[in-house]
Amino acid sequence: MSILAVQGLTKKYESFTLDDVSFSLQPGRIMGLIGKNGAGKTTTLKSILNLVRADRGRVEMFGRDFYQNEQWCKQKIGVVLGGIDFYSHKRLSSITEVTRRFYPAWDGKAYQKYLTMFELVPSKKVRELSSGMKVKYMLALALSHNAKLLILDEPTSGLDPVSRDDLLVLFRQLVQDGERSILYSTHITSDLEKCADDITYIKDGKLMKSADKMTFIESFQHLKESGETRPLSLEEIMIRTERRNYDV
Amino acid sequence: MYNLLYKELRLAAHPNLFVFTLLGALVLVPAYPYGMVFLFGCLGPFITFTYGREINDIYYTSLLPVKKRDIVKSKIALVVVSQMAQLLISLPFALLRLRVLPAGNPAGIEANVAYYGFGLMIYTMFNLIFLTHFFKSGYRVGWSFLFAMIPATLGVLCMETAVHFPQFAWLDSVEKAMMFKQLPILLVGGVVYILGIAVAYRVSAKRFEMVDL
Repeated sequence: MSILAVQGLTKKYESFTLDDVSFSLQPGRIMGLIGKNGAGKTTTLKSILNLVRADRGRVEMFGRDFYQNEQWCKQKIGVVLGGIDFYSHKRLSSITEVTRRFYPAWDGKAYQKYLTMFELVPSKKVRELSSGMKVKYMLALALSHNAKLLILDEPTSGLDPVSRDDLLVLFRQLVQDGERSILYSTHITSDLEKCADDITYIKDGKLMKSADKMTFIESFQHLKESGETRPLSLEEIMIRTERRNYDV
Repeated sequence: MYNLLYKELRLAAHPNLFVFTLLGALVLVPAYPYGMVFLFGCLGPFITFTYGREINDIYYTSLLPVKKRDIVKSKIALVVVSQMAQLLISLPFALLRLRVLPAGNPAGIEANVAYYGFGLMIYTMFNLIFLTHFFKSGYRVGWSFLFAMIPATLGVLCMETAVHFPQFAWLDSVEKAMMFKQLPILLVGGVVYILGIAVAYRVSAKRFEMVDL
């Protein structure tokens, strides 16, 4: 059974349409959602989470319709929105004290473990954390209520290479027991070379391809230029697919 | 619901909401337009909603295991709690002023039964417009406040001015018999306030369901 199955997700705006996006994510896997800025990655994630009202489409999480079972599904997921600060003047301990009340499955011991593991100080305020530490704090909250699906929107954007690598190693460790999955949007394709199992590529609101990484890369090899023998990287695939000629 | 209200008080409420709520005590000031207390009761939610926007409170709440309309419910609960707390806080001071300031309030209405009835109606005008307009977008606080404050301020002006006319002098009295006569105003105020909140919730929740965060 898929942890997440998205079917025909469509959202129309005046100048942009997310058009009939479908993909699914299996347990124990990391899926990278790629596309250039404005391609529809965040709209896809927000539509999945009902933050944005989809015009059409179905989202199934853990075998249940998400829109019909929103509260139940949200008990089992953790969401990290990179670059958005919540309660920047509040201490982590205050945010945790509020958040834990919403999750019957909250595990205080696990939370303490993750705080120690991520070197988070509960008395610190959100604004005192680096971008990487903010992501880790949100992950600590998600993992403490035993989230089985982590939905991360550009969690590594703006991080230095060391912090990025640190998070990517952590993501791999999180899925290794085969129980959790991660859906992770980014435009930093080199990150996905390191940690993703599956790739879903959205271009101008349309799904280009969703497949495991090897199949995905192989299906774009027609973009190779003459003389090239090695397989194209994700970055080359994206650049060559998106490349435009300006008539100036 | 309790958890959401706890979240509002612990994370989303701006400290000024508590300060303005405490300003119910202003009914002890010797010569003061006590209608200002109700306007402070409208200013507190405005500052808190503005603060909520800056700290991405609605965003965070929507990621918790709650329904979208529960977000509306929790915000409205915070407004009701702060306004009712403000009135409750003002009550002992209104009673105290009868003993320490028996000469009355030359600036405007007395803190009497009619005053509280009118106050509930003023809150209702503000809540209905402010909440329903705000939840159209989830972020447009300034316009919502401006539109809501116009009728609320006019309501306060009417109340404060009316008591200076002889035919409405009974509204300015703190004598037992007169206050008994004022009781229907309080009852109407209470009913209007409850109905107003119910309507504000229904309309706001419906509008907020359509908002893309």
